[in-house]
Amino acid sequence: MKKGIAERRSWWRRAGRFLGYHAGEAIVWFFMIGVAVFEIAPISWLFSTSLVEPAHSFDLPPKFFPTAFHWENYLAVLNSTEIDFVRFFWNSLRVAATVTGAQLLTCSMAGFAFARLRFPGRAPLFFLFLASMMVPFQVVMIPTFIIIRVLGMMDTHWSLILPSATSAFGIFLMRQQFMTLPEELMEAARMDGASFLRVYAQILLPLVGPGLSALAVLTFLASWNSFMAPLLFIRTWERFTLPLALVQLKGYMGMGNRAHVLAGVMMSVFPLMVLFLLAQRHILQGISTTGLKY
Amino acid sequence: MVKRGKSGVAARGKLESILARTRLSGFQETLAGYVFTAPALMTVSLFMLLPILSSFVLVFMEYDILTPPRWAGLSNITRLFGDRRMMVTYWNTFRFALGATFLNNLLGLLLAMGVNRAMPRVLKYLLRTALFFPAMTTVSSLALVWHFILTLDRGIMNYLLQQIGLPAVPWLTSQRWALPSLIMFDVWRACGYLMILYLAGLQGIPKILYEAAMIDGANRWQLRRYVTLPQITPTAFFCITISLINAFQLFDNAWVLTEGGPHDASRLVVLYVYEVAFRRFEMGYASAVSLSLFALVVGVTLLQFWGARKWVHYD
Repeated sequence: MKKGIAERRSWWRRAGRFLGYHAGEAIVWFFMIGVAVFEIAPISWLFSTSLVEPAHSFDLPPKFFPTAFHWENYLAVLNSTEIDFVRFFWNSLRVAATVTGAQLLTCSMAGFAFARLRFPGRAPLFFLFLASMMVPFQVVMIPTFIIIRVLGMMDTHWSLILPSATSAFGIFLMRQQFMTLPEELMEAARMDGASFLRVYAQILLPLVGPGLSALAVLTFLASWNSFMAPLLFIRTWERFTLPLALVQLKGYMGMGNRAHVLAGVMMSVFPLMVLFLLAQRHILQGISTTGLKY
Repeated sequence: MVKRGKSGVAARGKLESILARTRLSGFQETLAGYVFTAPALMTVSLFMLLPILSSFVLVFMEYDILTPPRWAGLSNITRLFGDRRMMVTYWNTFRFALGATFLNNLLGLLLAMGVNRAMPRVLKYLLRTALFFPAMTTVSSLALVWHFILTLDRGIMNYLLQQIGLPAVPWLTSQRWALPSLIMFDVWRACGYLMILYLAGLQGIPKILYEAAMIDGANRWQLRRYVTLPQITPTAFFCITISLINAFQLFDNAWVLTEGGPHDASRLVVLYVYEVAFRRFEMGYASAVSLSLFALVVGVTLLQFWGARKWVHYD
C-alpha cells in the first residue's frame, strides 16, 4: 500500500517534470522563432515589395513573400534619369575600397611596429591611439568639418577617405595578431640580414591573413554604411554615396513609387549580403575578439 | 690546423659583423618604429588630435565659417545652462539610451542563450544569420524601410495591429510615439549584434563549472542562476558600456526615421548639434554642446566602471 503511494507520487513528479521541461522548451523556441521572424520580416517584405508592380506597391495586406517578379523595377532605378544609381554605387564602392586598402596598410604597419619593434615612445604612442578610439566622430565633427574645409577637401571623396585612412580599432586588432606570432621568426630573419621592411612584408604579413581579412570586411562594411560623414562633407549629388543618395531617392520617388525605392535599397544592400554570406566567420571573429565596431 | 684557424677567423669576423649590426640595429629599429607608425600617426594627428584640441579652442569662439572667428569668452558655456531646447534633447537622449540599452542587452543575452543550446548546425547557422543580418546592414537604408513600415497611412505595422483588433498608432508623427519608434528600430537593428557578443561570452564560460554544479545536484534553473549569470557579468558590463556610449551618439536612425520631429519629440543631442552647427552655423556654441555630450559620456562610463565593482565577477 505504502509502496503504491510512493510509486504514484513519483509518477506524478515525473509527469510534472516532463511537462515542465517541455513547456520550458516550448517557451524558449516560441521566443527564438518569434524574434527571428521579427528580425527577418522587414527584410523579407523589402525584397518582396521591391518586386511588385509599382502601382501595387502600397497594397495591403503586405507581402512578406515574393509573389510577383518585376525585375524591371531594378532596371527602372538603374536607368532612372533623376537618380544616377550606377554612379552612386560606383562612388560608394570606390570610397569603401580605398578606405579598406588604406586601413589594411596603415593598421598592419602600425600594428607590426607596436607588437614587434622597440623604440622610444612606443607605449605612450600606443596609448594615444587607444585613447583616440574612445572619442567618437560625433564629438569632433565640427572641427573636422572646418579642417576639411581649410584643406580644400570639401565636396571631394578625399574628405571621406583620409579621415578614415586608419583606425585605432584596426591597429589594436593587427597588433594582437602580430603578437601571436613567435618572436624567433623575426630574429631569425634579422640574423640572415633581412631589413625590417622585408620582415614585415614578406615574413610576418602573410601569417596574419585571418586578422587582415577580418579587418578588411569590417572596414568595408563601416565605410559602405557610413552616413554622417557624406552628409556633412558632400554637397553635389554626383559625388553622393549610396546611403545619402537613397535618402534622396525616397524624396523623389517615395510619394508614388515605393517599389522603386525598395529596389534601390535592395541593390545597395546586395554587396553586403554577398560579403556577409562569404565572410561571416571573419566578421564574427573580428567582432568577438575586439567587440569595438558597432 | 691552418684550415681550422682560417674558419675561426671567418667565424670571428662574422660574429663581429653581427655585433656591429645589433649595435646599429638599435638605431635602425627606432627609425623603423617611427616609419612604420608614421602613416597612422599622421592621420590620427590631423583628423583626431587636432580636432579634439581645436574644439577646446572653438568653445571660446564665435564662428560662422564665413567671417573670421571672434573671441567670445565663456559666453558659449554659460549659454548651455539656459538652453531649454538642449535640455529637451538631453532628456530624449536619456530616455532613448536607457530604453534601447536595456532592451538590446536583455534580448541579446536571451537570444545568445537560445542560440547557444544544442541544436542541428544548419538550424544554428540559419538562426544566427537571421538574427545578426540587420546589424550589419546600412542603418540609413534600413531606417528608410522602417519608415515605410511605420507610416500611419498604409503602413505595415498599423495594418498588422488592426488585424488583431488594436487601433492604428501614429508611430512617427505623434510626439508620444516618435521616441518609442526610434527605440524599436534600434532594438530591431542592434540586438543581434549584442547577441554575438554575449554568445562569445557564453562560449567562454568553462564547461567544468557546469559539470561541477551538476555533480552537486543543481537543476537547470540553478545552473543559469548560479553559473551562467555570474560568469556572464564581465561580458554584460562590456556590452552595456558600449551600447550606452553608442546610444548617446546616435544620429543616422533618428535623422532618417523622424528627423527629430514632430517638434522636438525625438530630437537627440547629436541632431541638435548638427542643427546648431550646420543649419544655424554657430560653430562655437555647437562645439560647446558636443563637448558637454562628450563629458557626459565619459562621466557615465566612469560611473559604470565604479559601479561595476559591485556586480561584475572577475574570477
